[in-house]
Amino acid sequence: MKSSSLVLPLLLLGAVLLSLMIGQVVLSPLQLWTGLWSGTGPGALTLRVLRGPATFTAAGAGAVLGAAGTIFQILLRNPLAAPDVMGFMSGAGLAVVAGVAFGISLPLPLLSAAGGLTAAVAVALLSVRRGPVMQSSLTLILVGIGVSFLASAASSFLITRMPPQEAADAQRWLVGSLAARSWQHAAQVWGLGALMLLVLALQVRALKVLELGDELAAGLGLRPGRARNGLIGTGVLLAAAGVAVAGPVPFVAMMAGPLGMRIAKVTAPGARLCAAAMTGAVVTILADVVARSIVPGVQLPVGVMTGIMGAPYLLWLLSKEAEAGEL
Amino acid sequence: MVLAVAAGLTVLVGVRAASLADVSNALLAFDAADPTQVVIRSVRLPRLVAGLIAGAGLGMAGTVMQAVTRNPLADPGLLGVNAGAAFAVVVGALVTGYSDGGMIAVLTFPGAAMAAIAVFLLGGARHGTAGPVRLTLAGVALNALLLSLISAIILTRSDVLDAFRFWATGSLSQANARPLGLMSVSLVLGGGIAFLAAPRLEALALGSALARGLGSRPGRVQMTALAAITLMTGSAVAVAGPVAFLGLIVPPLSRRLAGHVLRRELLVSAMLGAAILLLADTAGRLIMPPGEIRVGIMTALIGAPAFILMVRRLKPGAFA
Repeated sequence: MKSSSLVLPLLLLGAVLLSLMIGQVVLSPLQLWTGLWSGTGPGALTLRVLRGPATFTAAGAGAVLGAAGTIFQILLRNPLAAPDVMGFMSGAGLAVVAGVAFGISLPLPLLSAAGGLTAAVAVALLSVRRGPVMQSSLTLILVGIGVSFLASAASSFLITRMPPQEAADAQRWLVGSLAARSWQHAAQVWGLGALMLLVLALQVRALKVLELGDELAAGLGLRPGRARNGLIGTGVLLAAAGVAVAGPVPFVAMMAGPLGMRIAKVTAPGARLCAAAMTGAVVTILADVVARSIVPGVQLPVGVMTGIMGAPYLLWLLSKEAEAGEL
Repeated sequence: MVLAVAAGLTVLVGVRAASLADVSNALLAFDAADPTQVVIRSVRLPRLVAGLIAGAGLGMAGTVMQAVTRNPLADPGLLGVNAGAAFAVVVGALVTGYSDGGMIAVLTFPGAAMAAIAVFLLGGARHGTAGPVRLTLAGVALNALLLSLISAIILTRSDVLDAFRFWATGSLSQANARPLGLMSVSLVLGGGIAFLAAPRLEALALGSALARGLGSRPGRVQMTALAAITLMTGSAVAVAGPVAFLGLIVPPLSRRLAGHVLRRELLVSAMLGAAILLLADTAGRLIMPPGEIRVGIMTALIGAPAFILMVRRLKPGAFA
């Protein structure tokens, strides 16, 4: 085992500990430890009711978003291709807001999955051009940005119709928020995430083959169209599972893959997905720690922090791509 | 003509319906006891003026940006210039505790200018051939960063959802509290600069080498364009907040109406921008009275499909 493959698990452990310790009241590791075993004292309350659920929800949501982003980045061979940039997450968010606004009593993961899949189909259909087929990944990304604009505008529109308190909550949620998460949320995202990651594990071989190009993939006995659709479906559903508990947190899905690849020094698709999931969890947990402790007495939504962290990364990526002559 | 109808509707339509006679009375023979006339004078007219300023400013700014960058996806909202102006005002309010008209006027312009410079440098527009993809994505990134910072600042206070909405999406509902007079002056100034520089901007659009051959200095022309964009966008954001997509929809329409002469395009986009903004605002007030949909949401609902349409129309070579 290479030492670089240990970095991410250690980072994740550190982030979880940090997230449990830091907040309105700073706890020592010792207090956490005694709280964990005795079930009493400040450590126990923080662990069981406040920071525990938020931390584990953040870890789960970050992991599924990171894996989802990497699927698209590998499929489209473009680091910009991620469910947040391409509007799938805004679509999922819109579906959840619509569900609340119209009083549709479906579970949130179902709503967000439906919204995410609808947005993905819309992006795919709208990117098809007449005439010579020139469906570059950049067209998909730009159309996705347009779909994302539309979904966000429609969400804001629906929020205007809600009563004030509900509207304020929905507004925060749409930025991406981990406030007031319970163990149910954590269990939900871990359960659904584990299920989808299992499905993804079965598809990793197809992803590996698709990376070689469609013709070679067909030669190796794979039906490229079908395999690709299956992977896209898995990716959208993973992202939707994250949105259902944390809202459309921006940029985690886009950042996690490339960062993870660099930290863990891996290149094979399966390893990249694992690294991305862990990096996504680390990034989300740390963003949440900063968001809730940077201004005393105020809990900022986690999405504000990932936005502040992710935008410079996107700009850096752009200038790097431009130097390489990609754009 | 369209503008006149749009302006008329803005004044007449609302929670309290007013007749033409009420309007002329309010203007010519004001009676402070008549509530309809008071509404017209204190609410609807400021709203109309704010809509005119913001619509004309964003429409013209979009036209100048698209002409300079030769990019059909350029828009002060999408490229983060609006957000820059709004961010400066919000930071100013945080630091000094003031958010009155003078403060806004002092801050929107540097904010808009810095965001415009940033996005043009990051988007690679300096070399005159910024690909639409790179410029747009740089704008998306800058926008996301600035809007996240705005939310971070505003959400630290829980009582200000309305302020947050204003500085995040834009609205004409606070028109009577905005520095309308000052901003109309700066708008006219920015429009005038753009109008005077229009021929040189057109030359620049042919490519900087050709422009130099025609006797203009590209660097200086770009600075002029920047000044015009800053003045026009800053005025618009000061009165209406960051309204996106208007500068995206208006230029292609005005190009169709005015042919490819930049001066005429500017005039048409000023009128068209104001007309579209006022109509969108009026529609937003009519959809679910007595509540209203902020005009920034209305323009986004129209503008996002237009954005997708324009992406589809980009020539394949534009991506290279």
